[in-house]
Amino acid sequence: MKKLVSLAAGVLLAGLPFAGSAFAQDYPTKPITVVVPFAAGGPTDTVARLVAEVMSQDLGQQVVVQNVGGAGGTLGAGQVATASNDGYTLLLHHIGMSTAPTLYRSLPYDPTADFEPVGLITAVPMTLVAKKDFEPNTLEELVAYVKANGENITYAHAGIGSASQLCGMLFMDALDTQMTTVPYQGSGPAMTDIIGGQIDFICDQTTNTTSQIQAGEVKAYAVTSPERLGNLPDLPTTAESGLELEIGVWHGLYAPAGTDAAIVERLEAALKTALANETVVSRFAELGTVPVSEEEATPEALAETLSSQIELWRGVIEEAGVYAD
Amino acid sequence: MAVSKFETKDLVSGCIFVAAGAYFALESLTYEIGTAFRMGPGFMPLMLGTALSLLGLAIAANGWNKPDSEEAPVWPWRGLILIIGVIVFFGATIRGLGFVPVVLVSSFVAAMSSRLNSPVFAAMLAVTLTVMCTLIFVVGLGMSVPWFGPWLPL
Amino acid sequence: MDIIASLGLGFSVALDPTNILYCFIGVLLGTVVGCLPGIGPTATIAMLLPITFSLSPAGALIMLAGIYYGAQYGGSTTAILINLPGESSSAVTAIDGYQMAKRGRAGPALATAALGSFFAGTVATLLLAFFAPPLARAALNFGAPEYFALIVLGLLVSIALAHGSILKALAMIVLGLLLGMVGQDIYTGQPRFTLGFRELYSGLNFVSVAVGVFGVAEILRNLENEKERDVMVKAVKNLWLSKDDIRRIVAPVLRGTALGSLLGVLPGGGHILSSFASYSAEKRLSKTPEEFGQGAIEGVAGPESANNAAAQTSFIPLLTLGIPAHPVMALMVGAFILQGITPGPNVINDQPALFWGIIASMWVGNVLLVLLNLPLIGLWVKMLSIPYRALFPAIVLFACIGCYSINQNIFDVYAIGVFGVLGYVLIRFGCEPAPLLLGFVLGPLLEEHLRRAMIISRGDPSVFVTRPISATLLALALAAVIIAVLPGIRRKRKEVFVEED
Repeated sequence: MKKLVSLAAGVLLAGLPFAGSAFAQDYPTKPITVVVPFAAGGPTDTVARLVAEVMSQDLGQQVVVQNVGGAGGTLGAGQVATASNDGYTLLLHHIGMSTAPTLYRSLPYDPTADFEPVGLITAVPMTLVAKKDFEPNTLEELVAYVKANGENITYAHAGIGSASQLCGMLFMDALDTQMTTVPYQGSGPAMTDIIGGQIDFICDQTTNTTSQIQAGEVKAYAVTSPERLGNLPDLPTTAESGLELEIGVWHGLYAPAGTDAAIVERLEAALKTALANETVVSRFAELGTVPVSEEEATPEALAETLSSQIELWRGVIEEAGVYAD
Repeated sequence: MAVSKFETKDLVSGCIFVAAGAYFALESLTYEIGTAFRMGPGFMPLMLGTALSLLGLAIAANGWNKPDSEEAPVWPWRGLILIIGVIVFFGATIRGLGFVPVVLVSSFVAAMSSRLNSPVFAAMLAVTLTVMCTLIFVVGLGMSVPWFGPWLPL
Repeated sequence: MDIIASLGLGFSVALDPTNILYCFIGVLLGTVVGCLPGIGPTATIAMLLPITFSLSPAGALIMLAGIYYGAQYGGSTTAILINLPGESSSAVTAIDGYQMAKRGRAGPALATAALGSFFAGTVATLLLAFFAPPLARAALNFGAPEYFALIVLGLLVSIALAHGSILKALAMIVLGLLLGMVGQDIYTGQPRFTLGFRELYSGLNFVSVAVGVFGVAEILRNLENEKERDVMVKAVKNLWLSKDDIRRIVAPVLRGTALGSLLGVLPGGGHILSSFASYSAEKRLSKTPEEFGQGAIEGVAGPESANNAAAQTSFIPLLTLGIPAHPVMALMVGAFILQGITPGPNVINDQPALFWGIIASMWVGNVLLVLLNLPLIGLWVKMLSIPYRALFPAIVLFACIGCYSINQNIFDVYAIGVFGVLGYVLIRFGCEPAPLLLGFVLGPLLEEHLRRAMIISRGDPSVFVTRPISATLLALALAAVIIAVLPGIRRKRKEVFVEED
């Protein structure tokens, strides 16, 4: 019964209006909205909800996740860019924050100028997986096979600007070959066709692939993180097999530009608490990822990652000639 | 509207389809068409737009020589203007004015679009609906809109 | 047998008093949000996700699942009472359900929906329990060519949705297909028909289009000539089904359940087709097809059963393979992960209590829904005695609020207005809205699967006929066209003859 009451209270709290302006020193005095620019239930949303839950406890105010999907994450990000910079509207975005300025030639906001970075959260590694009866068995064989068969291989990705598309670009870049890329609407349908053997190969986040790899539904070749993963100890890293392909889907927390420094500091502290939380660490581990270190959960680290990643992806995307508008 | 030897219904709906089809087909010409084997974003809309226009022509032609058998109903101008007005007003102001004022005004105007409703009845209905909607959507379902928006000096 | 033991384990979880309570909260919330247009199960589950943190995994997932299939139940209520479908599945129910309500038969319509859904839910639960893994495996044989063929079949068979001119129905389907293409092309990212608005990149919202062409258009029609007729309902005749009604709904419910159960398993959009397919099938098989669209009870019984069966079996790919079939299932994946369980093929072995508990809870939930909904029928029908002039402003408001709440996107609100007018004008000139909606939901799928099939086959169109499943489906589609065209031509001859007489 107690749970029922808290449930009702939760529903009520999420909707209650709060008036009046807040001063930075007693921030926060009302619920904070974290905009996730993707649909609920996806990997980024999951990361956001895990972190938001613990941040709520630390800040003493509800941190509400709001999903504003559409246009490859640029709608939600654009909304936060123009939101009031009072610290009550934040953005949790992934690697797409750094690819959007190149992918979208008419982006209505500037990822560096329109946001105050708060901190990095995590970098989800990716895995190279293929349908069960795909010929190559190891990464070396895969590389040779892809080089030999090129466009006869079908590569699935989860849509324009998705992590799997980016990883595919890097992979083809590293091998200097082209495969036939087949876009899907999200990771779910793409994985369905990999498991069903309708399509050959994908590089996707561990969030989506780990359970399928463990169950033997797909053939896994390598993980793109520098170290092997705890829950897939037999899976080699790309570096071990001599492939230069390192990519992680990094997530960051942002506030609109001009947010009071004291508020950013408070948020940074809450973020650090959340990333040190046991539940968050263990749930992240099940997703095949770890929270970033304390030094990285800072505005400086996020700002640096963002600007270096923007540069990196500008090169890769322009070379591939892939644009989203 | 006995314009011609066409049945009005067929003629007008046919024309709408032709116009809509033409819009989609012409607009899709500005996208990459591709080939049947490697379709671009313009391929399907071009095909379908053309098909729609042809269907529209066939529908209009089908009405040839069939004089209207029934009287056309009157246009509900008052309802059309007020209800569409309410929807546009709702969309344009929900973020600025907030939930309560927008719902209050919208339901009053929507009620006024029926000639059977007096202003007093409409006002009563507006108050009832505002209370009800606020309770259901904002309090009950936790919809994230402010009661009163930033445009109001409260 | 093994399965009996497993089901026993499942029921021991599902019948735990706290879990019954969560199940009840879930189906109750689902019914409520299903009734309201806009705020669908997706939004509700998203809002409740954070709260489920504090619950046990079984309790949380039982509740969230309850919201989903509860909403399928509730969705039919507003479709029948005020012609306001909240979801693609209930758009079909609105066709005949609303006509029944207008003729004073809202009670039997609602009862049919509830009973049909309950029966379908029970069968689908059994299917889930006994055949989930093999069904999921079979569904994996469906690739892009098969889905394309299935959608073509669905579209061609659905011309039966219209009760007027076939040409106009075809045109409405094509217009719907085109409207479905508004937004960013998923293959190239090219924004199409967005008129430069970034808000339209993810396309038009289904609920806005449906609420516009059904709900708002109907209101405008009723405002045409207010003085002469009072629009709403004649005196309510009876609340319950007559013996004749029961006789008439048995076969449609059985067929709807079978169709829905099978289509629901397909992760690539099968559940969307289920209610449309069932409606078309019933109309084809009926001895009195002219009654469809005028309040045929079969037109409510079939689609409602199909839709609820599909809602239930669409859990199969998720529970057995970890594959989400549609956005609500994707949310369920999120819910699993938040509970520390990654959905995948291993769940059935690693978490048997959870797996079987969820399945058993679905049946419990269906019982709760019937117990909840049957007594409500009287109340709903009473609502119809509110004069229409007071009811319609509420409908307009609910439509605006509901659509806005989905994505906080004001374009979704404007779209109601645009499609309200478009729907009204088209209806006025003799076109019906249901085929347009069907085209709208299937358009993006049709294009997606066609283009994907062509890419994977490297431009070889023979894939559609060399793959056995797709070849069979296309052959069925061809047969459907032939069957539809032949009597059409014959009737046409008769008509011409009569006119010249």
